[in-house]
Amino acid sequence: MRRRGRPYSIKTILSVVIASVSILFTVLASTILYVQFTTTIRANATAATREIVRQINANLNYYTSDILSIATYARDLAKQTDLLSHPQIEERLNSIVSSRQDIVCLLLFKTDGTLLLSTHDAPMRTTAEIVKQQWFERALGKEGNFYFTGPHVQQLFPSSYPWVITYSQQITYRNDEGELDRALLVIDMNFWAVSELVQTARLGKSGYVYFIDNDGKIVYHPYQQLINSNLFNEDIESVQEHIFGTFHTTFEARERLVIVDTVNNARWRIVGVAFIDELMAGLQKYTAIMLVVVLFIIIITILVARSIATYISGPIRALERLMNSVESGDFSAPPLVGGSQEVAALSETFAVMVRRIRALMDDIVTSQEAKRKFELDALQAKINPHFLYNTLDSVVWLAEQGDREGVIRMVTSLAKLFRISISKGRDIITIAEELEHVRNYLIIQQIRYQDKFNFSIEMEAGTEALATIKLIAQPIVENAIYHGIKYLQEMGRITIRVYRRKPGAVVIEVKDNGVGMSEAQLTQILDFTAMQPKRMGFGVRNVHQRIQLYWGSDFGLEISSELDEGTLVRLIIPEQPSIEPPKGVTT
Amino acid sequence: MKRLSLLLIALALLLSGCTSKETISNPRIAVITMMQGGEFWGALKNGARGARSATAAVLEFLAPINEADYEGQIRTVQQAIDQGFDAIILSPSHAIRLKDVVAKARAKGITVVLADTALSELEADFLITADYAQIGASMAEHAFTLFEEGEAINALIIGSLPDTTTMVTLVESLSHSLMGRPNTRIAHSAFSYSNETMAADITSSACEADASINVVFALEEYTAGGVAQAIAGTSGIHFIALGNTRYEIQLLEEGVIDALVVVNAFNLGYRSVLAAVDLLGSKKPAQQPVDWALVTKDSMFTEEHQRLVFQTIR
Repeated sequence: MRRRGRPYSIKTILSVVIASVSILFTVLASTILYVQFTTTIRANATAATREIVRQINANLNYYTSDILSIATYARDLAKQTDLLSHPQIEERLNSIVSSRQDIVCLLLFKTDGTLLLSTHDAPMRTTAEIVKQQWFERALGKEGNFYFTGPHVQQLFPSSYPWVITYSQQITYRNDEGELDRALLVIDMNFWAVSELVQTARLGKSGYVYFIDNDGKIVYHPYQQLINSNLFNEDIESVQEHIFGTFHTTFEARERLVIVDTVNNARWRIVGVAFIDELMAGLQKYTAIMLVVVLFIIIITILVARSIATYISGPIRALERLMNSVESGDFSAPPLVGGSQEVAALSETFAVMVRRIRALMDDIVTSQEAKRKFELDALQAKINPHFLYNTLDSVVWLAEQGDREGVIRMVTSLAKLFRISISKGRDIITIAEELEHVRNYLIIQQIRYQDKFNFSIEMEAGTEALATIKLIAQPIVENAIYHGIKYLQEMGRITIRVYRRKPGAVVIEVKDNGVGMSEAQLTQILDFTAMQPKRMGFGVRNVHQRIQLYWGSDFGLEISSELDEGTLVRLIIPEQPSIEPPKGVTT
Repeated sequence: MKRLSLLLIALALLLSGCTSKETISNPRIAVITMMQGGEFWGALKNGARGARSATAAVLEFLAPINEADYEGQIRTVQQAIDQGFDAIILSPSHAIRLKDVVAKARAKGITVVLADTALSELEADFLITADYAQIGASMAEHAFTLFEEGEAINALIIGSLPDTTTMVTLVESLSHSLMGRPNTRIAHSAFSYSNETMAADITSSACEADASINVVFALEEYTAGGVAQAIAGTSGIHFIALGNTRYEIQLLEEGVIDALVVVNAFNLGYRSVLAAVDLLGSKKPAQQPVDWALVTKDSMFTEEHQRLVFQTIR
């Protein structure tokens, strides 16, 4: 999880923004297309289904009209018994029936069920069996009205069980007496012929057409066998609620498109049932393809967004890395990165800035070195005039006393002192040289103070040739004499030791048995940043600062002192590599 | 980048998963009846054909010529196994002899649905049949209505194949129900092996041997034909049969047959195919007995029975 408040990278922001916008547009466009396509397919499917149902209805209407024409012809013939004999009428009717495979038989009954005319030679069932049949009862007594029954097993001739649809109509015929009388015209049509008109029609993959009568009873259904066996249920209820037209309904968890139309002549209604999932099968395929395409586009979009983000943010990241390296002090990295115009310009500006910083830093280093040199030179310049004045004063005094030996010793020591001080302009000398410098200084001071103190110098083996900055021990020794030994009544002693101290340090220790310092004085002296008491001179602070200027704050002076006991000063310097002393200087 | 790659792989797997679903879209099913002819088996096959369009199954109808030829049926089942059908719908003509070959088919992973009759001591994948115990009881009950109370009933029962569970159940149920009425006895009981001539001979012999026989039960359509021939011209013998052949219907209408029991063989065939397809799709088929009706001359043309008795629409 992203830490709260932590900003997102440019790459992430760019990737997300580009990808989001692209995906949003893709999804939006796909949705619009999908909705449009769905609407169109649905409309087309509905129109196509309605057209099929309309066509079936037209065929059925055509068929029933044809039957009505035959019925009209038969009805007219029935009135012409005065002109035509029964055999002649039957012959004419037979010629029609025999030319039609769909018509099983054409009959004319008296209202009591007695047969008047028949195109079928087989013996009839009894009149009692005839009159109780539905088609007889429904047509009787309603002159002019005609009826089409639903499919049923014909019950006219024994041992004959064809499935038929019966047309029945009460008509007027001319009886043997020449009077008009009532009769019942019956035309039995093969049910298979009628069902052929419907059965071949398929609405979608498994859609179908069926008929119901006015009471909502199924007249014909392609799955009648399944309905009889309770293997199939039909949604008659919703059809009864919609007398006519097109509607959608869901039955047994399947959405249906239902088209209801009336069948002319037959008092039936034709019902077309198509299943939406089948009508929309093409849509499902289209949806699957579209989903794959959309997914593909989204993947490509994400990849492209990342590539663009990488292209834009890459140089910025490189610039950031460059800035980090510069921040950590590495000015050597190539300051220019590629990328867009803006980033390149930024990079160029940064490069200019880095170059200027580098130049400024070089300037600072140069100036610092110059300053240090200047300070060193100033320090040395501070030592020399005092000491030279006092030494020369002592030489004069020795000369006045006629102490030739003393003059020679003092001048010789002074000469050596200056020789090391100058060191041919070198700042770095060996520790041996430094101590030789101190020794000469002490010899001079011993003469000046007329053996008021003695001294010893000890060096740990191997430290002689180690390098050090010059003139760091002499000011300390000078302080020991002027502020410690000078006020002593008894014989003073200065002990100088050089030894190694782990890790990697060398200690030049100057110990005196002088008057020492109070705790307050010591605290003041140890605060090297504060003003030093005048009597201590600048020696201690200068030496400490010079050491730290050269080697850092880990090095410098350590001072410990006790009143009337003496003072111990340790100069801590790093153990530097050995160097060769100049000719003439022994170590 | 690594996360993106994983996402793309997941999407690819998702897409491949959408198209790699393995289902048998057009299962091959062998429908093996007891014999090639017969209106009962014809209606069963019609039902199977009806289910074909609903399930997209590919059906092949196989059967021996004679109903009693169980050896031929065993060979037919073996043939279906060899041809690698996905499922077999079988009406076994011998409840014991067909066991081995059915076990063999199931061992080969072929789904076996038994239609109408079962196998003894062997579970098939599914069984669809009518409640023949109830049919037997119903036939006996109707027979009782044909006689006055206390009048003696001497029954002749002729079944078809003695080694089918259906016939055993039917005969047992019928016999048991008949014996439940006082003054009723089973004069003779035999099997015709679906042979019309044999059925006629059995009837004639039985009636000659026992003149008191006053009701005959023919439990199969060919048997009914034979019985009708044998009792033609005789009087005082009631006749109850099973089947709905045109001949039986004529006999019913003529009053030779007093009642017909019609089992919805169309339903049997239809649901057998549905069950096989369901089982192949690892779906449990609906457990429901096949419908049937006892039809008399008076009720044969009622709307309720018309569509069952006259199943062949054309």
